[in-house]
Amino acid sequence: MSIDDQHDLYERLDRAVGAITPRAAPVEGAMRRGRGMRLRRRSAVAAGVAAVVAAAVLAVPALRQATTRTPAAARYTVTVQAPGPHAPAGLIASGTVNGKSWQLVAGRPGTDGIPRGQEQIRVSGAAVGQTGLTAQVPALGPDGTAPVSFTGMSAMPTQVQFGAVQADVSYVTVRLGNGTVLTLHPARVYGARVVAFATPLGATVVSATAHSRQGDIATAIPFNDPGGMASFGTWLRPGQHGLARASGRIGSGSYLGGAWSATAYLGPWGACLEAEGGGTNVGSCVDTTSVSGLGTNVMFWAGGVPGVAGGSADASVVRIAVTSPDGKTVQVHPVMVGGVKFFAFPLSKGLRPWKWTAYDSSGKVVAAGTGTPDS
Amino acid sequence: MSVQLDGEFRDFMRARWPAMVRLAYVLTGDQGHAEDVAQTAFARAYASWPKVRRTGNPEAYVRRIVINENRNRFRKQRVAERLTDAPPESGTADATSQYDERSALIAALQRLGPRQRAVIVLRYWLGLTESEAAIELSCSVGTVKSQASRALASLRQSAELVDGGFQ
Repeated sequence: MSIDDQHDLYERLDRAVGAITPRAAPVEGAMRRGRGMRLRRRSAVAAGVAAVVAAAVLAVPALRQATTRTPAAARYTVTVQAPGPHAPAGLIASGTVNGKSWQLVAGRPGTDGIPRGQEQIRVSGAAVGQTGLTAQVPALGPDGTAPVSFTGMSAMPTQVQFGAVQADVSYVTVRLGNGTVLTLHPARVYGARVVAFATPLGATVVSATAHSRQGDIATAIPFNDPGGMASFGTWLRPGQHGLARASGRIGSGSYLGGAWSATAYLGPWGACLEAEGGGTNVGSCVDTTSVSGLGTNVMFWAGGVPGVAGGSADASVVRIAVTSPDGKTVQVHPVMVGGVKFFAFPLSKGLRPWKWTAYDSSGKVVAAGTGTPDS
Repeated sequence: MSVQLDGEFRDFMRARWPAMVRLAYVLTGDQGHAEDVAQTAFARAYASWPKVRRTGNPEAYVRRIVINENRNRFRKQRVAERLTDAPPESGTADATSQYDERSALIAALQRLGPRQRAVIVLRYWLGLTESEAAIELSCSVGTVKSQASRALASLRQSAELVDGGFQ
């Protein structure tokens, strides 16, 4: 290619894109979506035993099999130990669930073909089945200002929670529904300080509190979702109150011959939506302490037969027009739960984009967007 | 996240939003898709903002997400096309006769594969070196060279661009 060609191509590309006038930067919308992604990343590593979880933990809603809704375990015993001075490299923690052992190990970053910025986490032992579970997650490290960036792994019949802690965190206490209080001491793993614990899937995790040498830093009260996993979101500083607890069905029905439903849960963890459809259970949360902080946004798109999409709406929104890829439009009306408007609608399984537009009572567009159901 | 970090992110996104939408537009050929892709990229950047800002080059981080998002979108579309049972629409000339140089170039780019398109944009619009483009695309310099060569050959054979003087 000659220099003239290159210059010509540059000039043409520049002219082509110069004619584009983007709308104003949707900063607040991007931040809301980003907050949802943060929480999902902390909570969404869910997979079957022995599966290698795909790299795309980021921005993927937590998908669970609806057929395995897990009852809360009534009686159980759990223990946890931090690694000793002669522990193997990468060991984050070990312990027992109902007398069966587990251990959680991080792979050395950059080895075994793991891309830069990712890390392989492996949980093994009798508590998580014969072959254990391996997941690829973003490199361990503090995330934002959360004292602990918990991520959950569902390894039937056990859930394992792990996360990096901030520099000022000396230890973490976790209170469980059966009264047990676990004390987690951070292990130094490849430059990060990480804690972990495990419980039976379905056991209620009441709270986690991060402590510094000076006292309590913050407490997180997780959302214990219908799949039996705890989702850690909002961390409340001493004296700070989160959202009041409220829940309600925001949509249900039959579509494409299958039943679907969606439920909103507000509480000190923030706002979570859970939906069932097509044999799949999908959930997504936003960590917020204010009902006005949610805005109008679709929180998840999940394909299935039927699939479900759900989101929150600003108080001014009275209807959402949803247009399917084949051009059919239906009207969806938001439902108020705990002072927040939510909405949900069923989807077909597919890979083509759906459009949604939220309107206020005067017919003015409040927000709009597109989404593609997961296949 | 702290108020200070949020403020930094807001400033960053407002400053770089037009550039990222334009980049996404060249890659997707559709302004609506471009804005969706760009917003997703910024949302992902915000989700890891403390880490992203520590890289010292948050723009490169967002740019990489934009490129990857487009490649994912392309893969999904390709699968969807296989699944459809309706005959594809046949191509027709633009009835409004607004077939200008801009649409010719964008149309020609859309006929390239996503990686070739990304190489063209990185090398000949953003002016990255072959090494820099290889890092952005997580591939070898040799791959950048071969993809650029094939992409340019395709563009040279594009009837619209030949008519418009690119040969």
